[in-house]
Amino acid sequence: MSYIPIPEDRHFRIKRIGYDPGRSRPWLERLVYSLYVFAFWGFVIATYAGVPALFDALGWTAGWGYVVMRATQVVLLFLLSAVIALMLILALRKYLGKVQERYGPMHYGPAGGIQTVFDALKLLGKEDFVPAAADWLTFRLAPAVTFVSSFAIFAVVPFASGWTLADTNVGLIYLIAVSTLSTYGVLLGGVSSGNKWALVGALRAGAQMVSYEIPLALVFLSVAVWGGSLSLGRIVDSQMGLWNVVPLFIPFVLYVISSLAELKHIPFDFPEAESELIAGYNVEYSGMSFAFFFLAEFVELFLLPALIVVFFFGGWHGPLFGLEPGTLAAGALQSLYFTIKTAVWVWIFLWIRATLPRYRDDQLMEFAWKAMIPLALFGLVLAAYMRLIWR
Amino acid sequence: MSTISVDPVPGRSDEMVVNMGPQHPATHGVLRVVIGLEGERITRAVPHIGYLHRNHEKIEEARTYFQVVPYTDRMDYVSGTQNELPVVLAVEDLLGVEVPQRAKQIRTIFFELFRIASHLVWMGTAMLDLGAITPFLYTFWDREIILGIVERTAGARMLPNYYTFGGVRRDVHPEFFKDVADFLDHMQRRMPDYEHLVLENPIVHARTKGVGVLSKERAIARGVTGPVLRASGVAYDVRKAFPYDAYPDVEFEVPTSSDGDTYARFWVRFQEIYQACKIIRQLLEQTPKTGPYKGKVSPRLKISGERYRAVENSRGELGVYVVGDGSDRPYRIKHRGAAFTNLQVIPDLFIGAKFSDAIAILSSLDPVFGEIDR
Amino acid sequence: MSLLSEVWQAVKALGTGMATVHKRVYEDAPTEFYPYVQPDLPAVSVQSLALVENEDGSERCIVCLQCERACPAQVITIERHRNPEGKGFLIDRFDIDLVNCMYCAACVEACPVSSIVTIQDFEMSTYDLHTLKADIDFLHEQSRRSRRWYSPKFGVEIRTDDGKIVKAPPEMQPGGLAELLKPAEEEVDQ
Ligand code: SF4
Ligand code: SF4
Repeated sequence: MSYIPIPEDRHFRIKRIGYDPGRSRPWLERLVYSLYVFAFWGFVIATYAGVPALFDALGWTAGWGYVVMRATQVVLLFLLSAVIALMLILALRKYLGKVQERYGPMHYGPAGGIQTVFDALKLLGKEDFVPAAADWLTFRLAPAVTFVSSFAIFAVVPFASGWTLADTNVGLIYLIAVSTLSTYGVLLGGVSSGNKWALVGALRAGAQMVSYEIPLALVFLSVAVWGGSLSLGRIVDSQMGLWNVVPLFIPFVLYVISSLAELKHIPFDFPEAESELIAGYNVEYSGMSFAFFFLAEFVELFLLPALIVVFFFGGWHGPLFGLEPGTLAAGALQSLYFTIKTAVWVWIFLWIRATLPRYRDDQLMEFAWKAMIPLALFGLVLAAYMRLIWR
Repeated sequence: MSTISVDPVPGRSDEMVVNMGPQHPATHGVLRVVIGLEGERITRAVPHIGYLHRNHEKIEEARTYFQVVPYTDRMDYVSGTQNELPVVLAVEDLLGVEVPQRAKQIRTIFFELFRIASHLVWMGTAMLDLGAITPFLYTFWDREIILGIVERTAGARMLPNYYTFGGVRRDVHPEFFKDVADFLDHMQRRMPDYEHLVLENPIVHARTKGVGVLSKERAIARGVTGPVLRASGVAYDVRKAFPYDAYPDVEFEVPTSSDGDTYARFWVRFQEIYQACKIIRQLLEQTPKTGPYKGKVSPRLKISGERYRAVENSRGELGVYVVGDGSDRPYRIKHRGAAFTNLQVIPDLFIGAKFSDAIAILSSLDPVFGEIDR
Repeated sequence: MSLLSEVWQAVKALGTGMATVHKRVYEDAPTEFYPYVQPDLPAVSVQSLALVENEDGSERCIVCLQCERACPAQVITIERHRNPEGKGFLIDRFDIDLVNCMYCAACVEACPVSSIVTIQDFEMSTYDLHTLKADIDFLHEQSRRSRRWYSPKFGVEIRTDDGKIVKAPPEMQPGGLAELLKPAEEEVDQ
C-alpha cells in the first residue's frame, strides 16, 4: 500500500573523509606547519643570498645580467609573498579558531595544514565576474594596483644586513609613496564597481587614508631624524645598541595605530566592514580579482609588522654567536631573528583582530587629526632634541 | 510617509538611497530599511517588514488550543518557551485551572533560562555588528549549554513546546536542577569575561555612548517595552506590574538606566542576565525535587470568553488576546509582539545618525524576525 | 591628568579584553566531530518519527486517529477500514509528511498505545523532498533501523537483536524524577 516508493539512497550519507580525531598524527601536523616556515626561510635565503651568489659564479653581474638577476629575485619574492599569504591566512584561521574555542580548518591536510592551498585553487576556478554597471578597465585594474603597491614594499625591507633588493637612500620616501598607492586601488575598485556599498567603502578608504597618512609621515620623519638616514638599512644599523622603541616610544605607538589603519585591520576596517557595508569596496569582486585584494591584504599583514620591527625593534639585530657578519650563516641567522620578531607582531595584529570591535570612521579621523598629529609633531620635536643632545 | 522609493528624490542629487536588507548581514534576519544617505549621515529611514510573514494568527485560529501552543514557539525563536506562556496563561485563566506551584516554578526557571539564552544571542550578534567576532562564538557556546539542558527535559532545543495548560508537559529530567546549578556557576565565571569584552571595552563605549538616544517621552509614545524602555528610564516590567507564575515569590530588581542611549540598552541587558541568574538561584532552592507538574485539564477543552495576558519576554511585553466562542478553537488570537513594537523607533533613532551608528542602534533594539513578521 | 588617567583606563580595559580572549587558547574546544563521532542525544530528543511494530511483526497501532487529530501541522494522513474478521480497524494508509512536520511530538503524546514514537536518527538530509513524505513502510523502517525509541507512556524501549521489545534500563530512561526515584526506594526497603 505504499504510495511513494522509497529509493534506496534515501538518506544523504556523509562521506567520512579527511580528519579523524582518533587518528591524528601530531608529528605529521608539525611537519606540515614547519614546512611553511622552512619554505619562507628558504625563499628568503635563496632570494638574497642564493641568487646573487649564483649570478656571481656565472659572472653575470653587469649590464643585462644584473637586470636578469634582479628580475629573478623579484620572481622569488612573488613566490615568497604567496607563501606568506598562505601561511598567514592559515595562521589567522587557526589562531581565531583557538581563541574562539574551536579548531579552525581541520579537514585538508594534517590538522588543516593545506586548507588555504585548496582555497586558493577554489578562487582560481571561480568565474571572474564583472558587473554590468562596472567600469571594465578600472574594475580590472584596481586589484592589480593594490597588489603591486603592497608588493613593492618588499623592495626596501631589509631581511638581514645587506639583504635587501634596493638599499636606497630614499627608502622612507619610497615607502610613503608606495604604501599610499594601495589605497588608490581600493578607491578605484570601489568607485568603479557600480555598487553603492562599494562606493561608500571606497570613500571611507579615502577619508581614512587622509587621516592616517600624515601621522605616518611624521613618524617616518622622527625615525629618520633619530636614525640619521632615510635608508632602512642604515636605520636598522643605527639601532645596534638600543632599539628605537625606547627613545621613540610615542612615534612607535602612533606607528602601530596608523599601520592598523593602513592595513584596514580590525579597529579601523571601515572600508570593508562586513556588518555595515557587507564587504565594502570588494563586494563585487570574485575569483582571482578578489584573490589579489586578499593577497595584498595578507602581504601587507606581513610587511607592516616587518616595518615596525625595522623601525623600532632593531630589525635583524640579535646575538650572532661569533659568526662573521656578511657571511651566509650570519645572514640566515639575522633573517631568522627578523622573522621571529615580525611573527610576534603579526601575532599581536591577529590578536587585535580576534578581540576588538570596530570604531566609527569619523572617530578615527577625529582621533588622527586631534590627537595623533599633535602627538606625532611632539614626538618629532622630541626626537630632534634628543638627537641634538645624545648623538 | 509610509514608504519611500528607492530612487533619489528629484532635485536632491546629494542623497543616496540604499536598501539595508533584507539580505544585509546586520539586519538580524530579514529587515529591510530603506535609508537615505547623505555622505554617512542618514536623512531618511523607513523599515519594511513582512519578508518572513507566515500568517500566524490566522493559522492559530484554525487550530485547537492544544495545537496553538507549538505554533507560538515559532514567533520569537531565540527565546523558546517564553512565547508559549501568554497563550497558556490566558487559557488557564479562562478555564480556571489550578496550576501546581511546582509547575509554576519549573515554568519560571525555563522562562529565565531562555532570557539568558536570548540575551547571550543578542550579546554575540550585537558585538558582531560592532565588528568583534569572538564574543559571538563564546556566547553561542554558553547558550548551547542552556539549549542542552532544555533538550534533556523537553526533547527539543529551540522550539521546545514544553508548557501546556495547567503546567508543563512532562516532569523535568532527574539531573535538571543539578544541570541548572552547574550552568549558573559557569555563567558566574563567564560574566566577567563578557564584561571585559563588551561593557568595559573603550571601543564599545565610543560606538554606543550618546548614540541613538531615546527619550523617556518618545519611548512611551512609541509603545516600546522591555530593555529598550527600561534603558530610557521607565521601570515598567510585566513581571513586577502584573506578576505571573512564580514571580511573586522571588526577589529581583528591575534594572533601569536614565541615559536612553545604545550603551544603556546594552547595560540593561547585562543586568538582566544577572537578575535572571538570581531568580533561578532562588527558584532552585524553592522548587521541590519531586511533585506534581501538571494540573488537571480536560483534553477536549472548550472555552468561551476573552482574555489578554502578557509576559515579560526577553524583548519586552509579549501579550496575547484570546477570544473563545465556546468551541475548541479560538475565535480570535492576537499577538502583541515586543520586538515588533520596539521596531517603531527605527525612524526616530536612525534619522540624523551616522550609518555605522544605525547598525549599533539596530543591534541594541534586538529584533527577532520570527516575531515581528509572525 | 584626568586625560592621562582616562587614556590609561582605556588601555587597561583593552588589555584586559585581549587577555580575556587569549586565555581561551588554553581551553579545550568543545567541538563535536559530528560526522566521525555521533552526538550523544538525550533520550527524549525529538529528531524523527517512527511507527513501532509488535514483536510478532503485527501492527501496534490501533488506528484510533488520535495522532491525526492532535497534529498541529496536520501532516498525518490516515485511512482505515473495519477489520472484517474480529474487532478494530486496519490501516489503509498512514502517511506523515516529514517535510512539513514540526517535530512537536504532539502526536506521540496523543497516541494511546505508543505506536508512534520519536527516534534519534536525525540524518535525514536528502536531495529530494518527496523522499521525506513518509508512508507506513518508511515509518516502520525508521523504528527498525533506530532500534531505540521514546514515547511518554512507555519511556525508552529497545528492540533487541532477536527482535524482542524490552523496556530500557533505568539509566537510559529520561523519566521524571518520581519515576526514577522509585526503584531506589525499593532497594532500600530490601
Ligand atoms: S511531530 Fe507534531 S507536526 Fe509532526 S506529525 Fe507529530 S504532531 Fe504532527
Ligand atoms: S494515535 Fe497511535 S494508535 Fe492511534 S492512529 Fe495514531 S499511531 Fe495509531
